[in-house]
Amino acid sequence: MAKGMKRTKISRNIVVGILIAILVVIVGFPLAWMALSSFKPGVELFTIPPKIFPQNWSLEWYKQAFSNDDVIHYFLNSLYIASVVMVCDMIIGTLTAYGLTRFRFKGRKVIMISVLAAYCVPPIMLMLPLYKIMNTLALSGSHAGVIIAHLTVTLPFSVWLLVSFFKKLPKEIDEAAVMDGANEVQVFTKIEMPLCVSGVLSTGIMAFIMSWNEFLLASVLINKESMKTLTVGLANYISSTHIDWGIIMALGTITTIPVILLFALVQKYFVEGMTAGAVKG
Amino acid sequence: MRSRTSLNKHRLLVSYERRHNLIGFAFVFPVVIFLLMFVLYPVLYNVWLSFTDSSLIKKTSSFVGFQNYVKIFSNKLFYKYFWNTCKWTFWSVLGQLALGLGIALLIVRPMKGGTALRSFLLIPYVVPAVTLALVSKWILNSDYGIVSYWLQQAGLLEARQSLLAMQGPAMWVVVILNIWRSYPFPMLIYWAALKSIDKQIYEASTVDGANRWQTFIYMTLPQLKNTTIVLAVLRVIWTATYYDLIFMVTGGGPSGSTTHLPILIYQASFGSYQIGYAAAISMILGVLMFGCIIFYVTRSGLTED
Repeated sequence: MAKGMKRTKISRNIVVGILIAILVVIVGFPLAWMALSSFKPGVELFTIPPKIFPQNWSLEWYKQAFSNDDVIHYFLNSLYIASVVMVCDMIIGTLTAYGLTRFRFKGRKVIMISVLAAYCVPPIMLMLPLYKIMNTLALSGSHAGVIIAHLTVTLPFSVWLLVSFFKKLPKEIDEAAVMDGANEVQVFTKIEMPLCVSGVLSTGIMAFIMSWNEFLLASVLINKESMKTLTVGLANYISSTHIDWGIIMALGTITTIPVILLFALVQKYFVEGMTAGAVKG
Repeated sequence: MRSRTSLNKHRLLVSYERRHNLIGFAFVFPVVIFLLMFVLYPVLYNVWLSFTDSSLIKKTSSFVGFQNYVKIFSNKLFYKYFWNTCKWTFWSVLGQLALGLGIALLIVRPMKGGTALRSFLLIPYVVPAVTLALVSKWILNSDYGIVSYWLQQAGLLEARQSLLAMQGPAMWVVVILNIWRSYPFPMLIYWAALKSIDKQIYEASTVDGANRWQTFIYMTLPQLKNTTIVLAVLRVIWTATYYDLIFMVTGGGPSGSTTHLPILIYQASFGSYQIGYAAAISMILGVLMFGCIIFYVTRSGLTED
């Protein structure tokens, strides 16, 4: 009996192991294939049957990609936009989350519900009105317009994530500080901020990633080549009639790597925040 | 004398409370203004646009009542694209929930390297859609794509043929790609839900002689019911309105076989510049999603204290 159970346990472990291996391949293959392709010289890229690993590793495509001024602009634009979005999200998001979790004012519930509802409003529905509004505000074609557009997507998400962080911080510390004569602003800057720095920074980095990855709104609001973001520039490359696969694979690889690294950095907080109150059963 | 001090105390408390509330509101004020200006106003503006003949190529526009809506519903192609939206949404959501739950069940058991594995499996959540699009166009390239090559070798595809150029399979390709990038969210939520299920119920059911499968069907699944409903609703909202992936992989083709409502909205806006008409399509999508949003906001439990 005991022996039989042990055997089924071993065979179950083998099945689980195989399933996990298949999963890892399915998840890893597209990304690995992109990276490997980006290091293959032109001849190898187009050999049939395709070889998995490059025979002669080459940086040819990376050199070509970065010899193009537009590509450098795409990078700097994405970096600039995502950084500003990140900072705005951290500041406004923290203020909001603090206000929503530490005060009991009228309309608080309405605001919470509105933020959650705003989180559900998809970019495709905002695309057209935002385009018109940015025209009216003379912000079309500017990075400020894209930053505002990205905030409509990232801010509700950031507030939501930060509220779950602030809820976990014990309120008793606040109360003790108030007893000692601290006012609301001091409580916020001296006590809450240091406690939640890692949470706020993680949320900011998630906002950075979302802004870096965003395509639709950035593509609609920007026309000029030198103002485009990386995702928009890259999408133009893939839809053009003559596709330079090597350059695209190189660009795809450098677009994706920073995002994966940043995500690895903040994942612990992301997982905690998302599972804390994300979908309560 | 005594009553006077308590009255003063009461006044002090009221004024403290009022000040406290005011400061609390001051903290959330920026977000309120931002959401009013750049989310609520655009949504209302879109409603107005949908009743006008606004266009990007002419200066003036006028109120036309329900004309745009009549035009949409009398267009036979609209029903095809609507059906495409349903197919795309249904299979994407079903696939990502099933896969998410399956993986969560696999990794919920403590094992060596479990955290690293979970981290790895979360990666697709942050991979930019444009990356996925370019890789899939490369591996499905009719001449040099590795997946096309395998399929051609296996005799499933003719030489120099790509799945992306075929009307039937193109939709399945984008659905599968979408499942690839969106399973991590359900996986994470299911993983947390599974961990929070009380272990004792399993012990009890084992004692009662239930086998693994029975335990899953009768004990685990009912516990995941609410999670699943809320997740499904949220994912329906995201999927039905998701534009980027289809646009970049197939552009809605071949021959409109992967065109769904978000693509249609974009084409009407920036392809033919009829933004009144486009706003009306987006209103139809919006009304359908509105019910889902209300359901999600009230059922998710996120606004509770």
